[in-house]
Amino acid sequence: MSLKNIKNLVLVVLLGFLISACATSSRKPGQDYYTGSDTVKFLASGVPDRVFFATNRSSLHSGAKGTLNKQAAYIKSSGISVVVEGHADERGTREYNLALGERRANAVKDYLMSQGVASSKITVISYGKERPVNPESSRLAWSQNRRSVTVKSK
Amino acid sequence: MYKSFSLSILFHTFIIIFTMFTMPFVVKKPIDVPPIIEIDLIQISDKTQLPFAPKAKEIIDKIKEKEKERLVTKQAPPKIVPKEKLDAVPLPDNIKKKIEEKQKKQNPEEVKEKIRQSSEFEKKELFDPNKIAALIDKSKQEQADILAKKSLEITQDQDNTVSLDKGLTITQEDAIKAQIFKCWNIPLGLPFDEDLTVRIKLKLKPDGSIMSSEIMDHARMNRPGQGFYKVLAESALRAVKLCDPLKMPTTGYNKWKDLQLNFDAKEMLKG
Amino acid sequence: MKKILLFVLICLFNTGLNAAVKIDITRGNLEPLPAAISDFYLDNPDKFSEKLKKLNLETNLPKVIKNNLKRSGLFYILDKKSHIQKPKLSHLKPRFEDWSLIKAQIMISGKIKIDEKNRLRVEFRLWDVVSAKEIEGLALFATPKSWRRIGHIISDKIYQRMTGEEGYFDTRIIYVAESGPKDRRIKKLAIMDQDGANNKFLTLGNELVLTPRFNPTSQLVTYMSYFKNLPRVYLLNIETGVQEIVGDFPGMTFAPRFSPDGKKVIMSFAKDGNSDIYTMNLKSRVVEQLTSHPSIDTSPSFSPDSRFVVFNSDRSGFQQLYVMRSDGRKVKRISRGKGLYGTPVWSPRGDLIAFTKIYKGKFYIGVMRTDGSGERLLTENFYQEAPSWSPNGRVLIFYRETAARKKGVGASSKLWSIDITGYNEIKLKTPSDASDPSWSSLLSK
Repeated sequence: MSLKNIKNLVLVVLLGFLISACATSSRKPGQDYYTGSDTVKFLASGVPDRVFFATNRSSLHSGAKGTLNKQAAYIKSSGISVVVEGHADERGTREYNLALGERRANAVKDYLMSQGVASSKITVISYGKERPVNPESSRLAWSQNRRSVTVKSK
Repeated sequence: MYKSFSLSILFHTFIIIFTMFTMPFVVKKPIDVPPIIEIDLIQISDKTQLPFAPKAKEIIDKIKEKEKERLVTKQAPPKIVPKEKLDAVPLPDNIKKKIEEKQKKQNPEEVKEKIRQSSEFEKKELFDPNKIAALIDKSKQEQADILAKKSLEITQDQDNTVSLDKGLTITQEDAIKAQIFKCWNIPLGLPFDEDLTVRIKLKLKPDGSIMSSEIMDHARMNRPGQGFYKVLAESALRAVKLCDPLKMPTTGYNKWKDLQLNFDAKEMLKG
Repeated sequence: MKKILLFVLICLFNTGLNAAVKIDITRGNLEPLPAAISDFYLDNPDKFSEKLKKLNLETNLPKVIKNNLKRSGLFYILDKKSHIQKPKLSHLKPRFEDWSLIKAQIMISGKIKIDEKNRLRVEFRLWDVVSAKEIEGLALFATPKSWRRIGHIISDKIYQRMTGEEGYFDTRIIYVAESGPKDRRIKKLAIMDQDGANNKFLTLGNELVLTPRFNPTSQLVTYMSYFKNLPRVYLLNIETGVQEIVGDFPGMTFAPRFSPDGKKVIMSFAKDGNSDIYTMNLKSRVVEQLTSHPSIDTSPSFSPDSRFVVFNSDRSGFQQLYVMRSDGRKVKRISRGKGLYGTPVWSPRGDLIAFTKIYKGKFYIGVMRTDGSGERLLTENFYQEAPSWSPNGRVLIFYRETAARKKGVGASSKLWSIDITGYNEIKLKTPSDASDPSWSSLLSK
C-alpha cells in the first residue's frame, strides 16, 4: 500500500465517522413515547401521575398500563376523585391537538374504569398543546409533552 | 438494536471500500475544453414567429450597450437603401456569401458571444433575430451602397411577394413586439381562465408616432361584470401611449400605417 | 421601360393592401404598477379643531393609502421626495408631465375639508398619467375619528379600479394576543384594523382563549375559552361586551365558525374520545349533528354558498381533508398528497380551499381546488398553520412560531400574510406575539 492509498483510507474512515454521527433515533414510528422519569410527578408514594404516548397515537403501551394499574389501585383505596388531563406536542395543528388530547385522556379513563374505578370518580379535560411541560422545541421535549396526567380533583 | 448495529457496520465498510477505489481517480481527471462551434446565420424569414426569452434579451441588450460605437439606428437616413430588406429577403447566393464572409472577418467576437449564450441557455428562443440582424447590419455598412443599387430592383420585386401575405416581415413585427413588451404593465390581479384579449387599432404617422388609438371592443368595456376587461384594456392603452413614438421601418409606410395590436395576457398570467 | 412597369406593379400591389397588420402582444411586465400618491390638500384648515390639526391628515391619510397599496404587492409607490408638483395645485389638475417624468403611471391626489355639519369630507381623484385624464373621483364623508377608514375605503376603490378585483383594506383582523413563558402562556382576544392600527383587547387573559372567528354579518365573534376550566365555544358581542356560551354540550366544544349567513355556528364536540361536527342555529338553538364517525372530525368550514362543508378528519388513520354536503351526507375525501392535512378554509370566492400541511417534519400553507386537484404549496416553515382568507379571496393570513431553545427561550409567534400566487409574504405588526388570526368581511358592506 503506497502512502497515497493510506492517506485516502484514513480520509475515508474519518468521513465514515462523520456520516455515522448523523444517525437518527432507532425508534420505529408509533414507538417514540417517552420512557424516562424526568417531569414525572407522583400521585402518591410509588404512583406516577402520568403516562406517555407516541406521535399521533392514543394507545397505551405496556409500561403505561403498569402505571395506570397503580393509579387505579390508589384511587380505589383512597376514594379520591381525579381529573385526567390529555396533552399533545406542538407538532400538529391546534384544533386537531385539542381532539387528540381528549382522545388520550379518554383512553386513560377507559383503562382506569376497566380496572374497577367508578366513572363518577373521573373527569376528563383536554389542553391540546396549550400546556407543555417542556417548552423546548426538541424531540425529547415533544415526547415529554405527549402525555396524560392524572391529578386530584379539587 | 444489534441488528441495526451490524447492518450499519456492513454498510459503512461497503462505503469505505467503494470510495477507496473511486475517490482518488476523480481528483485527477483533466478539465474538458469544449470545442469551438461554428454557426451559420440563417435567413430569418425562413423561421416562424419566435417567442421571446426576456432574460436572454436583457443579456443581449447589455452586450449591445458595450459595443455602442458600432451601433446603427434602425432608422437609417432615407437615401441609403434600408438594411432590413437585405436580410429579410433571400438574397441571390453570390451576394449572400460575400456578406457572410465579410461579417465573419470583421466581427469574430460578436459571433463568439452569441455562441456562448446559446450554450448557456438553449435553442432557438435565444435567437433574437432582430438583434442579430442589427449586428450583421453594422458590418455591412460599407457594402450597403454597392449592393444597394444592384439589389434594389431585386429586393423591391421580391418584397412585393412577401407583402402579399403580410404587411410586415417577421423581423419588423418582432421589432414592434419587443417595444410594446417593454411598455406593457400587465395588471397582476387578472383571472387567467377568462378570455382576456384586447384589440387596439392604431393609426401611425410616418415617423412612428401614434395618430389615433382605439379599442375595438369598446362596448365590452362598460358592460357589468366585465370589470377585468376594462382594467386590461386600460393597461393596453397605457402601454401604447408609453411606447409612443414607435420605432418603425423607414419604408413601407403604407404597409404599417394601420396596425392592430392584439393584447393577450393569458400566457403571462397562467404562471 | 422595365422600371416604369415595375413601378406600376408596385403601386398596384400596395394599394391592394388596406387591411391593417395584426400583431399579437402576448408578453409584458408582471411588475407592480408605478403609482404616485401626493400629499392631500387641506381646504379649510382654519375650521379644524386642535385635535384634528394634530392628526396631520394631509400626510397621514395618504400614508394609510400608500401602506395599503404597497403591502398588496401590486403597486410600486414612488418616493414622496421625487414629487415635482405640490399638493396645492396637484389636486386641481395635475401637470401630467411632472408626474410622468418620475415614471408614475397613475397618480392619486385629494382634498380634505370640514363641512357645515362638522363631518370630515375627503375628496380623492385617481389620475391616469399616461393618458393624461382622470380615471375616478369620489367624495367620502365620515366623523373625524374614522379618518383611517376613509383611507381604507379609498384604497379599496383604487385597488378595484386598477386590478378589477374587490379590495380588502376596509377590514379587521381578530386574533389571539400571546405573552408570557411558553408553558404558561397568557392569551387574550384582540382585534385590530387590517393594517395593524387601532389594536384593542377583548378579554383580560385570565383564561385561555383560542381560534376566534368573525360573524360575517354582525358584531358577533365566536371563539373557544377555558372559562372556569371548562373548554367551550362562546359568543362575544364586540359592541356590548356580552359573552355567552354556545349550546349546552356535556363535553368539550371547540373549532367554532359561523355559516356564511351568520345564522349558525358550526363546531366540533368531543365526547368519550370521539370528536364530531355539529351545528347550532343561533336563534332557534336547534342543534344538528353532521358527522358520526369514531374518528376525530374537526376544523369545519362552509362553502360561501352554504351548500358544502370542508373539514379535517383522521378516519383514514391520518389527518386528511373531506368535503360533505351541509346536511352531513356524501362525505368525500379531497386531499391527495403524502403527509397530514389540517385547518381547511373555503375561499370566499368559492374556488379554492386553503389548508395546513405537515410533511417530513415541515409545515406548509397551501391551496387546492375544491375537488382536491391543483394542490399548490405557498410557503414552508418550521411551524405555521391556520390560514384565513381575505374577503376577496386573494390573500391568506396565518401564524408562525419559531423553534424554542432550552426553557422555551427564543419562542415567538407572529402573524404573516401571503398572496395566493405565493408572492408577497409579509409579517403583520402586532403589539405582542400573536396566533389564530381570522379576517373579517368588508366593513362597508
